[in-house]
Amino acid sequence: MGRGSMRDLLIRIDLSNRKATPWSVPEQLKDYLGGMGYGTKILVDEVPPATDPLAPENKLILTVGPLTGTMAPMQPQSCIVTKSPLTGTILNSYAGGFLGAEIRFAGLDGLILEGAAPEWTLLLIEDDRVSFHDAEAVLGKGTAECEAYMKERFGPDVRTLSIGRAGEKAVAMASIFSETRTFGRGGAGAVLGSKRVKAIAVRGSRGVEVARPEEFALLVRENMELIEAACAEEYNLVGMFSRVGTGAGMGLVNGRGALATRNHIFGSFEASTRIDGYAYADRFYTRAIACYGCPVHCGMLHKFTRTDGSSSWLRGPEYETMFSLGSDLLNGDPLVLAQANQICEEYGMDTLTTGVTVAWALEMGESGMLREPGLDLEFGSPGAILGLLRKIGEREGIGDLLALGPKRAAEAGGGDAQRAMQIKNSGFAAWMPRRMKGTGLAFATSNRGACHKRAPIGAEITGQIDMDAYQGKAVLVKEIQDRVNAIFTLVSCRFHEFVTPPDSYPRFVGAATGREISLRGFLTVGERIWNLERLFNIGAGLGRADDRLPERCFQPIRGEGSEGAVMDRQRFEEMLDEYYQLRGWDEQGIPTSKKLKELGIPEYARLEKR
Amino acid sequence: MPLGFDIDENLCTECLRCLGACSLTKLGRVQPPLARIAVRRQWPEIPEIQVCRFDDCPGRPCIDSCPVEAITRDQQGFVLIDRDTCTGCRACVEACPYGAIWMEEGGSEVAYKCDFCGGSPACVPECVTGALVQKGGS
Repeated sequence: MGRGSMRDLLIRIDLSNRKATPWSVPEQLKDYLGGMGYGTKILVDEVPPATDPLAPENKLILTVGPLTGTMAPMQPQSCIVTKSPLTGTILNSYAGGFLGAEIRFAGLDGLILEGAAPEWTLLLIEDDRVSFHDAEAVLGKGTAECEAYMKERFGPDVRTLSIGRAGEKAVAMASIFSETRTFGRGGAGAVLGSKRVKAIAVRGSRGVEVARPEEFALLVRENMELIEAACAEEYNLVGMFSRVGTGAGMGLVNGRGALATRNHIFGSFEASTRIDGYAYADRFYTRAIACYGCPVHCGMLHKFTRTDGSSSWLRGPEYETMFSLGSDLLNGDPLVLAQANQICEEYGMDTLTTGVTVAWALEMGESGMLREPGLDLEFGSPGAILGLLRKIGEREGIGDLLALGPKRAAEAGGGDAQRAMQIKNSGFAAWMPRRMKGTGLAFATSNRGACHKRAPIGAEITGQIDMDAYQGKAVLVKEIQDRVNAIFTLVSCRFHEFVTPPDSYPRFVGAATGREISLRGFLTVGERIWNLERLFNIGAGLGRADDRLPERCFQPIRGEGSEGAVMDRQRFEEMLDEYYQLRGWDEQGIPTSKKLKELGIPEYARLEKR
Repeated sequence: MPLGFDIDENLCTECLRCLGACSLTKLGRVQPPLARIAVRRQWPEIPEIQVCRFDDCPGRPCIDSCPVEAITRDQQGFVLIDRDTCTGCRACVEACPYGAIWMEEGGSEVAYKCDFCGGSPACVPECVTGALVQKGGS
């Protein structure tokens, strides 16, 4: 039996005192397996729910899991958990690429950033050594420029993350960029900025071993065969991602009348074929880019030629961005969409919530409720779209208001908050609750707000289940939320589960770490995490009133494919009641002490009162 | 059939599975920087795959560069470094046109390179796009 893949070691980085201390993982934490489990448990134990997300008392925890850095395919991601400045909830946010594997090669299961640096700082992590460096040279710079500087300064082999100007200026939806991949959701970039960390470079020199190498190699081989078979199938979603990227599915969604268009008023977009994955593949494709160890290589590198003959590059856009900076803004120009995406990358802003906020601002502009000198706030206007994005990144003019996120901007600026397509101030992902009832319930009950990673999207959009039905959706949503949380303790790519049977996960965990867990036990870890998150959110002041869809969801969709589709208010509330019951929560959505006892976490009942 | 790889760097997705498999085979652990193959990133342009080309390498300058004749090519075409003879002078590292010879660090300081895994390179099956194919393979 070899050494397990987890090193049971994190590093606490006390930014206020420029001190780093290795921290051995306590036995109790090991039950949370890694990744999101570690991040959630640490944050819930160490950060009171009412903490100001941008105060030094908030922490930012970056973790990897039992399969990170091994030969297991589709395991490149790393996970950030922190209290979100966008939603005021606990947040988990993910990025692919190579950072996760490098953290593992450094012999670490994760980093815990605490306090706030007195001056803007760059961190260099070499195995378990942390050094603090002056960030002056890159302050105010865009993410890609900053990361190029990090490689120049610390060596071409470091893997990096960084924030752009949005993170420096505490834009609520600021992201953290990492070499073409992004921790997008929830504003982790603003938290990093509040700690005055501009960028981090990691270099690891250690090898990764697993507890039972032969068994692990067999599991890898078996899993690779499943993935390669899926990639070879014409109509397999992962196969389509492999060939043209995540934008491959846009035509299907549009045909089902579920492509959110013009701030979710319409369910289809006539220009969708100009901005979908195939359109980019035809006109701008150069090559496919994979994350660490991934045979799917869904990242498509596109090259654009500017009018002056110079080139620009973008790995993307991803599907969700084709909605948020495309159809939802009535933007059918692939070049404008790419440019909008590049602005979000440069400033370090989540394309989803930022795009959704822009959609709301454009609608308010057309209604005469918002104005900005020099910009005609109209759907489809490149000047308005690109101008608003830059202003948000700079917090300039109306951008200072929009930088609060859709709900808080509407409340502060006097616009109509009911037309802001958000939940808990997090912008909708690219899916329409009126057309997909289970996805609507998943958005509403998400612990991080409008989350598409734990929604029955695949089953609903492909017609595997009736997308318009209410019946049976509550149980489905609960199962997916718990299962995906469990899988995110490994920090698997979300698409991995599309081609991997659930019972593979406990087998992988056992062979990698030597820690045996049943499938049922594994899924219970996911449910336990979900409940911890919920308790944190309740402690932060959230409740049933926040598990609510915006008013637009209770009005019929317009346009082809889904004309008249609507979420029935009464039936939505019934789904929510049923969901709380299935979760073992009371009618206000508070976990009962019976449920917490059943999950083995009775001591957390007091958390809500903190 | 000549010995070596058919390499098409246009197909390389930079996933590094080849490096992982190589280090796992040679060292028993996944440790990409110590693999006998490297993928040099030239973002956004296509990367350079650095590995011994065996029969495709014109002149095989590493062999002549070695002052102690530690590098040999056997009848099957395997170009191998004899660890015991190597003095760590780095001449082969400089001579290799593909940047495919490296120095061990931390005491031993001998040169290492791809040995073609005795005929079935562990890296090749991991390359799903066909950027790295064994000559004569499919």
